[in-house]
Amino acid sequence: MTTKAINNKPAQAAKRKKIWRTLWDQKYLMLMSIPVLLYVLFFNYYPLWGWRYAFQNLNLNNLKKGADWIGFENFTWLFNRPEFINSIRNTLAMSTINLIVGTIASIVLAILLNEVRNKAFKRTVQTVTYLPHFLSMVIVVGMAQNMFMSDGPINNMLIAAKLVDSPVYWLGEGKYFWFLVAIINVWKEVGWNSIIYISTMTSIDPTLYEAASIDGAGRFKRILHVTLPGIKSTFMVLLIMNIGHLMEAGFEIQYLMGNDLNIDFSQTIDVFVMKYGISAGNYGRAIASGMFKSVVGIILLFGANFIAKKLDEDTLL
Amino acid sequence: MTAATMPKIQKRKSKNHDIAFPLVNGIFLCVLMFVTLFPVLNTVAISFNDGIDAVRGGIGIWPRIFSTEAYNALLSDKLTYTAFGISVARTVLTTLLNLLLTSMLAFALSRKEYVFNKFITFIVVMTMYVNAGLIPNYLLIAKTLKLTKTFWVYIIPTMFSCFNMIVIRTYIMGLPEALAESARIDGANDFRIFWQIIFPLCTPVLATVALFVAVGSWNQWFDTQLYNGSKKNLYTLQYLLKMKLATSMQSANAANTSVDALVQTSKSTPVTVRCATTVVSAVPILIVYPFLQRYFVTGMVLGGVKG
Amino acid sequence: MKKFLAGILALIMVLSLCSFAVAEEPITVTVFRGDPGDQPTDDNKIYKLIEEEFGIKFEFEFLAGDLDETLGTKLMNEDYPDLFDGGNSAEKLINAGALINLLDYMSEEKTPNLWNHIAAIKDQIVNENGELFIIPNYGINYNEQVVNACNGPAFFLQKQVLAWAGYPQVKTLNEYFDLIEKFIAENPTDANGAKYEGFAILCEDWRHFCLINPVQHLMGQPNEGEVFINRTADENGNHEVDVFIVQDYAKPYYKKLNEMFNKGLINADTFVMNYDQYIAKLSSGVVLGMFDQTWDFGPATDALNTAEMFGNTYVALPLVYDESYGFGAISEQYLNGGVPNKDRGFGISVSCEYPERLVMMFEELLSDKWQTILQWGIEGEDYYVENGRLLMTKEQYNQRADATWKMANMAATIWESSPKKQGLMDDGNAWTPGDQGEILMAFMSDYDKEFLGKYGFTKWADFFNAPCELAPWGEAWQIDKAPINDDYTDFNSIQDKWLPICIMSADDATFDANWDAFQAEIAPSAKVYEDFMQEEVMKLVNK
Repeated sequence: MTTKAINNKPAQAAKRKKIWRTLWDQKYLMLMSIPVLLYVLFFNYYPLWGWRYAFQNLNLNNLKKGADWIGFENFTWLFNRPEFINSIRNTLAMSTINLIVGTIASIVLAILLNEVRNKAFKRTVQTVTYLPHFLSMVIVVGMAQNMFMSDGPINNMLIAAKLVDSPVYWLGEGKYFWFLVAIINVWKEVGWNSIIYISTMTSIDPTLYEAASIDGAGRFKRILHVTLPGIKSTFMVLLIMNIGHLMEAGFEIQYLMGNDLNIDFSQTIDVFVMKYGISAGNYGRAIASGMFKSVVGIILLFGANFIAKKLDEDTLL
Repeated sequence: MTAATMPKIQKRKSKNHDIAFPLVNGIFLCVLMFVTLFPVLNTVAISFNDGIDAVRGGIGIWPRIFSTEAYNALLSDKLTYTAFGISVARTVLTTLLNLLLTSMLAFALSRKEYVFNKFITFIVVMTMYVNAGLIPNYLLIAKTLKLTKTFWVYIIPTMFSCFNMIVIRTYIMGLPEALAESARIDGANDFRIFWQIIFPLCTPVLATVALFVAVGSWNQWFDTQLYNGSKKNLYTLQYLLKMKLATSMQSANAANTSVDALVQTSKSTPVTVRCATTVVSAVPILIVYPFLQRYFVTGMVLGGVKG
Repeated sequence: MKKFLAGILALIMVLSLCSFAVAEEPITVTVFRGDPGDQPTDDNKIYKLIEEEFGIKFEFEFLAGDLDETLGTKLMNEDYPDLFDGGNSAEKLINAGALINLLDYMSEEKTPNLWNHIAAIKDQIVNENGELFIIPNYGINYNEQVVNACNGPAFFLQKQVLAWAGYPQVKTLNEYFDLIEKFIAENPTDANGAKYEGFAILCEDWRHFCLINPVQHLMGQPNEGEVFINRTADENGNHEVDVFIVQDYAKPYYKKLNEMFNKGLINADTFVMNYDQYIAKLSSGVVLGMFDQTWDFGPATDALNTAEMFGNTYVALPLVYDESYGFGAISEQYLNGGVPNKDRGFGISVSCEYPERLVMMFEELLSDKWQTILQWGIEGEDYYVENGRLLMTKEQYNQRADATWKMANMAATIWESSPKKQGLMDDGNAWTPGDQGEILMAFMSDYDKEFLGKYGFTKWADFFNAPCELAPWGEAWQIDKAPINDDYTDFNSIQDKWLPICIMSADDATFDANWDAFQAEIAPSAKVYEDFMQEEVMKLVNK
């Protein structure tokens, strides 16, 4: 080992020189990236010091005096609550369903729009479908609830079509809740989320389509062999990104649509924390649960990234 | 599959598809438009309806009793106009700065030979997942930086976004390498290559990113509530609308006052104000959108690192 | 001469400056209100008067998002406004030590108005250490409490149902539901063919009191929240506190609702409705009855009145269990004596530089002159006087509800959160315009006048027994549950979840099984809550 090091001395010096040389060559790249790096470190990482509160009994009464260190008590409290465990299940279930249904819907919409030849029609559809993105959740949920009431239009249609005998209790039975949330999310965001796929598709080289047509490929073959491979990298990166966000199933929609009858299926981590953490001024618990979510998110992200790497696909990291 | 291997029957079939598919597709998209448009039109209709009447529900896409009371309630306030100014200012500034910083980093990280590439990418990507939470972030802005009660609190914390960096980086990586190469041979440094060659070529992707950033900044109200709640000349439009909304909810409850609860005659009610609020806050973005949509033609891709 | 004049001028200037300084230099006071509100206009006429008289200008901040979140961040950063109204979470300000003890600045000599204002209720509103952080913003009556109508909880019934039945007296739960049942049997739909619903129960979020509160009233108690408190002390001076949902007398009410549900008089949607949908349903006139509080469904009343559907508006009824339930003869007691709104209103924060001046301002604002300005406005502009009575034209009265008008012509925020006089002035006028009898009568619809006439009544409160005297503990729902927050949250969640299940039980056996399961699940948190309330109530009694 040592002899080797001695022997390599001149080579090492040369290498070191080369490194400095490279660094000097890349000074403008550093100038462009290091300020942003510092910015990110300061605004995103420095506040993590606040995670220490997860190990303190921080609440309203000891804000000024300073909280005491209590070790993992906030975490054990959370994990001893069956409702919290249940809310993890609900969060993961809803975000997974949303991810799958939402991704498929926006890709399908993007493909259908991509097939439209009339430019004016294409733009109109695109503009109209992304409008609901701007409606507030309060309004959207209000409308959805009216639709799904026992005597609402959906039930009336189902009864008229003889699909059911008596009205389905959509809003009161927990088992429908995940499905309703998925529908509402897709409806609200499909247009907006397809923007990125649509613009990805427009960047596909048109000669690929022509070549496929000359080869005699029909519309579906072209979609299958040209369009889909064209959006694959976008799809993969978005997928990995979103897998890291599986612990975030949203707050507003569950808070607004959840009720006492479907609570076993509607309560997400954030809703639970709102009830037992923030509203009560028990900040330690809220921060502990936030920390838990972040950590799980990062683990999921690495997992997804690792699998993608194994499959030789595009990865995020 | 080549033409030679393709049986003739199948070819005829694909011709049939070419008539049937656009038709079915067109009909489907029309239905989809109706399904998405109806609630939007419904919102507009309610916003133009008499408030007390709207409480009864059942309004379609046309107001039952026409009234502009809800808009009067929003637009009669002088604050609305200063707030509009602040909103425009913050949206424009945030968008410009964010585009500059984000694309600068995207350029640096698009260069495979850059030694800190992996390290910085890792740190930056992680910011999408590491979130300290409301209270620690508040302490940073309010206590460490003392940005409360300033306009800059809208700008400084939102100058960079990782997702957009990835979008721009992928786009830059897709540009022909020869462009940068020939400039380098001509003696241009990296900064000039970025600023004079790459940046202008990025217009399509920057338009898309600009839309994302602008919409996000325009819709933001929570930062005003947290940091500038007591400075009414720094209110943003969204915050003002949010407050109007909350007030009309409040007056509807007239909670525990008991006073004057017997005669209530406000003509705008939460239902109508909520809808008018939505319309007012969405219109500016809707006006800007077509201008950005032009650039989508060239498009963008989202790509990562090939494993 | 010139020099002399200049000297005089300088002297005058110096003197005038001095006199300004003596009359207190103008200050700007920051105000936070834990409720949504509208920024007043810069030339608001009442705030102008306040500025002229006290040299105080206000800078307001109102709540726009979540109250607890907003307060939490403010408290963590010790970012306090001068005047701090924490809305319904004001306990947090007190617990966090953000407010000053007002009693340090008050005395009989220095602040006679404030001193007299709280004299009668001082024991109730000061804490264990004898400190007072917030003077109640409502509920302190002068001369006589004005009760024109039931503004709080009651069972409500559409007036047309009573008219249809020939204006009977409805006093018990059974009479009430029998009447609804009979009415629907004969009139299943309204004139437009929409189906009537017998009884609605709003369950959304904090409004779940419509679901969980009625039992105490059926047993003859005013609103104490979720507990039943024995008003007569036992031999040890102890007032027994019971969480009523776990008592025998809770079950019959929900059994009755279950029976109504199975008869189709209650729509299952009622348990999943949000507030907007509830209001929309009430406004359409198809809901015959509900348990609620008058202010809670105000928008529906407005909508029905505007549409001139007077028969579909509601009358408040004080129902009790009749003797067949086996709890004896119960006399109703829905109305309670004036309840000071404890710990609600402005506190002065510890970071305020002028606590003395602000206390003196509140002292002055409580004078007869300023109370009239704050509550009635400017004579000739906002009200007029006729034969010594303060009156308003319909226009003057209605504009008080117009948000835009209020922003320029009322000091709404300062008025709402400051201590104020209610009840009657010494000359018999009401302190608050809404309490002035003539004004109420003048704006009542002919339908309502006739309706009341059929019963021989002159006001809606005549359906009720007179208010009882306020208990020493005030109203028990005002007690801060922060120390047992987790159990209290559980206690509420379990009720919210199980009561609808019980009501929707398919048959008696299922109901009993559900009820037993419910009782088993709620027992632990109910016990914690009961012990806590027992202790807190007795603390208030023994003060």
